[in-house]
Formats: sequence, structure tokens, C-alpha cells
Amino acid sequence: MKPVRLWFKKDGLAVYISHLDMNRCMTRAVRRADIPLWYTEGFNPHPYMTFLMPLPLGQSGMREPLDIRIEGEMSFGEIQKRLNSVMPEGIEIVDVAKPEHKPNEIDAAEYEVDLWFENASDAEKFSLGASKIIEGGVLNAEKRSKKGIKTVNLCELVRSFDVSACENKVYIKTILAAGNTVNLNAELLVNSLLSELSLEETDRNIVRTKLLRSDLSIFE
Amino acid sequence: MYPKELERFLLKVQKPGRYTGGELNSVVKDKNSVDIRYAFCFPDTYEIGMSHLGMKILYSLINAREDAWCERVFAPWTDMEEVLRENNIPLFGLESGDAIKDFDILGFTMQYELSYTNVLNMLDLAGLPVRAKDRTSLTPIVVAGGACVCNAEPIAEFVDITLPGDGEEVTNELIDLLKEYKAKGATKQEFLAAAAQIKGVYVPSLYEVEYNEDNTVKSVTPTCGAPEKVEKRNVADLDSMFSPTEFVVPFLEVVHDRTTVEIFRGCIRGCRFCQAGFLNRPLRRKSPETVEAQCKAICNSTGYDEISLCSLSTSDYKGLEKLITNMLPWTVEQKINIALPSLRADNFPKELMEQLNAVRRSGLTFAPEAGTQRLRDVINKNITEEEVLTTAAQAFAGGWTAVKLYFMIGLPTETEEDIEGIANLAQAVVDEFYKNPDKPKGKGVNVSISVASLVPKPFTPFQWEPQDKPDVLIDKQNYLISCVKTRKVTVSRHVPWTSFLEGVFARGDRRLADVIETAWRKGCKFDGWAECLKPEVWEESFKENGIDPYFYTARRREYDEILPWDHMDYGVTKKFLMNENVKAHKGETTASCREKCAGCGANRLNGGVCDETGKTVV
Repeated sequence: MKPVRLWFKKDGLAVYISHLDMNRCMTRAVRRADIPLWYTEGFNPHPYMTFLMPLPLGQSGMREPLDIRIEGEMSFGEIQKRLNSVMPEGIEIVDVAKPEHKPNEIDAAEYEVDLWFENASDAEKFSLGASKIIEGGVLNAEKRSKKGIKTVNLCELVRSFDVSACENKVYIKTILAAGNTVNLNAELLVNSLLSELSLEETDRNIVRTKLLRSDLSIFE
Repeated sequence: MYPKELERFLLKVQKPGRYTGGELNSVVKDKNSVDIRYAFCFPDTYEIGMSHLGMKILYSLINAREDAWCERVFAPWTDMEEVLRENNIPLFGLESGDAIKDFDILGFTMQYELSYTNVLNMLDLAGLPVRAKDRTSLTPIVVAGGACVCNAEPIAEFVDITLPGDGEEVTNELIDLLKEYKAKGATKQEFLAAAAQIKGVYVPSLYEVEYNEDNTVKSVTPTCGAPEKVEKRNVADLDSMFSPTEFVVPFLEVVHDRTTVEIFRGCIRGCRFCQAGFLNRPLRRKSPETVEAQCKAICNSTGYDEISLCSLSTSDYKGLEKLITNMLPWTVEQKINIALPSLRADNFPKELMEQLNAVRRSGLTFAPEAGTQRLRDVINKNITEEEVLTTAAQAFAGGWTAVKLYFMIGLPTETEEDIEGIANLAQAVVDEFYKNPDKPKGKGVNVSISVASLVPKPFTPFQWEPQDKPDVLIDKQNYLISCVKTRKVTVSRHVPWTSFLEGVFARGDRRLADVIETAWRKGCKFDGWAECLKPEVWEESFKENGIDPYFYTARRREYDEILPWDHMDYGVTKKFLMNENVKAHKGETTASCREKCAGCGANRLNGGVCDETGKTVV
């Protein structure tokens, strides 16, 4: 039994596949690819498969980790080739590697967010307003957790935040807390900023670009 | 490609995966390279439609042609409908995102009477008039197939063509014909008249229906050379018949998400309430070799870990043991579970059951259908209480603790005693559990009984029978519940109003078109969904159009009455059905086709051949 970390990209219409559905989708993909999966030994054997950081519905991911276990020998290159030949549109295996870090070492994630507005002045307004709020250090929002809804200061979960506007488009690059204990969904941050500034976007695009460890080195 | 304006709304609706397409094995073609664009329309949600085998077969079959592209369309749920209407986005095909009003054929599959309003709603969402006569151009042609079109009269005003019987061959012939008529610039009328000459094609507009004063049918007269009787299409050989090797693999969890391979069509049993058992005669069998090869191919192309060997009565398949024994080595190795729906309690070997559960254990379900032997004889469900109890005992010995039993109420000649019999049979199954010396410790037994209401259907021996009114059914349901004395038995029941509406449409005629349209205009859709059904709106719609719904359900029909579906020929003769009706009232059973050919007459459609009897007499 050998642990293997798959790194996949999810974009296009595949962003509308929910996390639960991704699970089913990937289980079937590894079966189609005839990868010698290791099955759990319980009453209902199922392949071992763990998504380390479920991607919220509607967001793209450039490099998302998925841990599996295999039985027997198969090279990483072969696994990648086989999987990509059976993947549905919008999902691609970009790398297969040995897991370097433990899942709980994920501490932050980098996002790139595009927002489109009616006009350049709204974009400008958002860009200026948002950096001011983040610098100010207070942006309270209701956050749902297992224990119920509580108010959280989102700024405490923002590690870095760059925003700029060009014509009617706003471009954000940000690093947010991620992981099992504290996590900030980029969508919540964007929605809170928009409502705080009383602005409405016409379209948006959120991409998670990388996962990071606490020293901001890349999670591998 | 996909309508960009739509993407913005996808996160505002439940389960956006219903509307995005892009699943594995979905087929995307260059629209400029095909002559015919076909929208396969399923008038219910994605999750229901994606479980339907017929759609998978026809989708692959059409897409196997270079000159045609078949896309899927499902009824959008109410939240998505709002988005589409508010933003003037016409109903689109999942593969291309293109508006289906520009397609050549819209093919609806009619599996359930309560999806009729959804057909109207989908046509309207597409931007098309709902009435066939108001769609004057050659394309799109609106086609309907599936079990309900054995009596297409209630939807005759809305669809252009129906395809009674097997769709595998006739779909290709219809596409060929449309391609030819499109190329020569023919009119819709010319095309319809030509289509009516294909075996297994019914063009409702070519038939004139006259009614008697008492509202029964007086006559049905074909025009433009359409045949007097429309014979259903019958595929003779299931081994050479087109069968898909790939299924579209949904992302969303759908009702049946697995490899499904048919093992035979038709049924040897002759249960008198069962429409499918009569509509699909004569029996035609697929060889075990073909079945196994198809299972392997689909598992490989989908990654599914469950196979369902499907038919109307799977344990009646000759060669089932051999088939399963051959399949077990590779399915166990690949951790694939084999599911056998529609097993009978009387003829399934225990050892086989144990082997089957090597991978994952599935539930156990029996369908005694009625509570007493007398009533089981009336409906010709040739199963005894002893057989049910023996099988249940075996199952309990094998470690099962839950059993599901299916029953029906509202059956002809039913008395209180029969209803009490349902509770008694369930109790007997509970007792069987406690008789087992090796029963698992600390675990109780759960027997759940599901009680449906009989809806007499066309082409069954019960097609002349009155159907119980909703209030009678409610009384019967309550009586049953009062007879259940233990909490180890749980009862679930159908909504009587649903069965009532189903009954109206099942045996309805063309006069119902106005009612359906009125109800739809007043907001009725997804009538099969308890949360969407609006009985008061339907009642209003019947009243406004001067139609008494009980005319269709509560009345006993005379044998010599012209039934609205009499001009359809499903092989089984009316004389045979009448004789079965007479026998039902006498409580006489008819042996299964395996024991003795009952002479139903369906082999006539198959060149005299029935795979069960092997007889080649006409």
C-alpha cells in the first residue's frame, strides 16, 4: 500500500460540480483508469480517497490535492497519463507525486479574483474601498461553522491582499487562512466587501491558485 | 457553446450540475457537420431522467450516426424555470447550450402520466406553441415514445407523432425520413403523412375521433392513408439490437447510477394489473454472452461499481445462474456489485443469493401485491404465502433484518378481509424472524410495507375495471393501518389523488387536452411530485372544461365499448384480455408462459416467434 498525492485542476463548467459529486467522479475515474487502488477493509469496501481542501462550488482550482493509496507498482507518470485519458472536461491531473507534507500543514491559500462592474467608476470605488477596509483591520461578517453562526472579523484571516482596477474590472490577489481549524472562503470575503461598500458586481471569477504552509512556503 | 448569460445564474439555483452538461461520455459534435439535431427531452428532473435506460439507448443510437446529434434536455426545476423566464433564455440542449426550438426533432419519453404538464411547460420554455396544429413549420417535429403512448389520446393535440413499442429501429427510420423531407423542402403535412406509413409510427392528427352522446368513443377514422390499426414496433432479436457501450456518467447523484443491461423484454407472468407485462410481449431474450459483454463494456467506460441486470422479472431469465457464475469472477475482482431487481420469491436459489452478496449486500424486497390467496388469484400473482415466508426465513437466516413488501389496494373484488390480509402477511413475516434460532442478537426486525393503489391501465385485463375513488382509497388505507398491531411493521402509502389523476390520463381520450392545457396555464407542473401537485387547480380545470374526471376512472366499461386506444395494436388481442378479465372475476389463475402458452397473440408481431415457448405458429 503506497500513498499517492494527485494534483488536479478544476475549471470551466466543472466548477459547478459540488464537493460530494467530485468524490464520486474521481472514484469512478480511478476505476476507469484501472489504477490499482487500495480499498478499505471494512464491511463495505471502498477506495481510499481524501480531498485535502474541498473547493467551494463555483470556484476554480489550479492545483488541488487529492490523496489516494495504491496497491502494487505503477509509476506516477503512468497514473497521470491514465487518469487524464478518462477525465471529464474541466478536470485535469496536473501532477502526481509522493505526499511531502501532512494534510494538517495546510495553513493558507492564494486566490485570484476577477470582478466585473457596470462601469469603471464602480470598479475604482471597489478597489479603493476594499484596500481601505483591509488596511483598517475590521470587516465583521457572519460565518457559519459546525457550532452555528458567529460573527468573525475577516481581516484577521487575511494574510495578504492586493487589489487594482482597470476599466470596469477589478483584480484581486489575496492569501487567506485555510485548513481544518480556521478557513476563510474567498467568496465570503468578496461578498462582505461588496455589501460593506454597497456595490454589486455583474460577473465574478474566483480561482484558488495554490495552497501554502504557515511559513507561506508551498504545500506539496 | 454554453450560454454565457446563463452561467451567472447557475450559482443561484439548487444543484447547478443539472444544467451544465459536460459529464463523461456526453457527446459534443460540430453542429455544422450534422443534418439532424435531436433533443431527447425527459419531462422530469435530471436525476430521474438520467436513471432512465431508454434515454441512454436512444442517445447512443442517434449519436452513433454521423449525420445526427442527440442532446439531452430535462425539465428545469421551478427555481431554474424562474431564471429562464425572467431572463428570456429559451430551453436549451445540455451538450451545446443551443435553444432546442431550432432543433429538428424534440423526442419526449412518456413514462408517467403525471408528466404531461411538464411536456407543455418544456415546449413553452423552448419558445414553441404547445398545440401541434400551431407549430406549422416542418421542424421541430415533436415526437413521444414510452409506455404512456399506448394511449396517447390525452396528449394527441400536443405531439406530432408517437412511437408505440420499441424505439431502436423506428427512431433511425424516422430520422432518415425527416432528413429526406427536409432536403426536398417538404411541408409538415407531407412529412407526417409519409411518417404514418412507417410501422410503429402513430400520427394522431391523421385520425378523426367522434364521440357518442354518453361521451364514449363512437369511431376513430384514419385519413391521408394512415393505417386503420397502428401496430407497435417490435425488435425481433435482442442480441443484434443496438445497445450502448457507454453511458453518460452524471456528476450529481441520480436515482439509479449504475450499469444497467436488459436481459429480456416481455414477461412470462401475466399479472393482470401489470401494463408492462402485456405491452412488451412477446418475450424476447438476450443471450448471456451478449449480456456479459455489454456489462463489461459499460463498466469499463463508466467506472461504475454496480451492475443491474434488468427486466420485468429477472429470476425468470433462463440461464441466470450460468450468467452470474460467469460474471462473478471479474465482478468480485473489480469490486463490482451485481443487483437483480424484480426477483420473485419463488424461484431464486439461496446459494446464488449468498454469492451475490460477496461484494455488498443489497436490500430484500418482495411483491406479494395482495393480502390473501383469493385476491392474488384474481390478479394472477401466482405466489403463495408459504413461498413468501420460506424466502423470508432464508433471508433472516442469512442475516437480513429488514424486508420490504409491496402491495396494492383498490384491486377488483377486494374486501376488508383482503386488506386485513396485508397486515396479517406482514405479521407472519415478523413472526418468521423470531422463529429463527440464529437471529442476530440485540437486533429487531423491520418489515416495511408499501401500499400502492391500483390504476387500471390500457392493454391489461383490468382495462375495463372501475378505479376506487380517492376517498375510498383513504378509507382502505386507514383500515389497513388500524389492522397493523406492531411497530415492527411500518406502512407507507401512495397519495390517492395522484393515483386518481394518473387513472384519468391512463384511460383518457382527446377531450382531456383542454383540461391539461388549462391546468398547466394555471401553474400545474411536476404533478407527480407531492409538493407540486395542486388537486384544487385540477378540479377547477376539469370543471371549467365541462369534463367529469370520474367518467374515466370510476365507470365499469362494457366489453363492446370502443376504447380510446383500440386503434393501437400491441400484439396481445382484446379477446385474450377479455378472457383474462372474466377469469379474474372467477378467481381463476392463468399459468405462466413457461408452463403453458396462454395464446395472448403477441407472437404475431414477431413473425410468430416467442422466445419463451419457442413456438413458431401464427
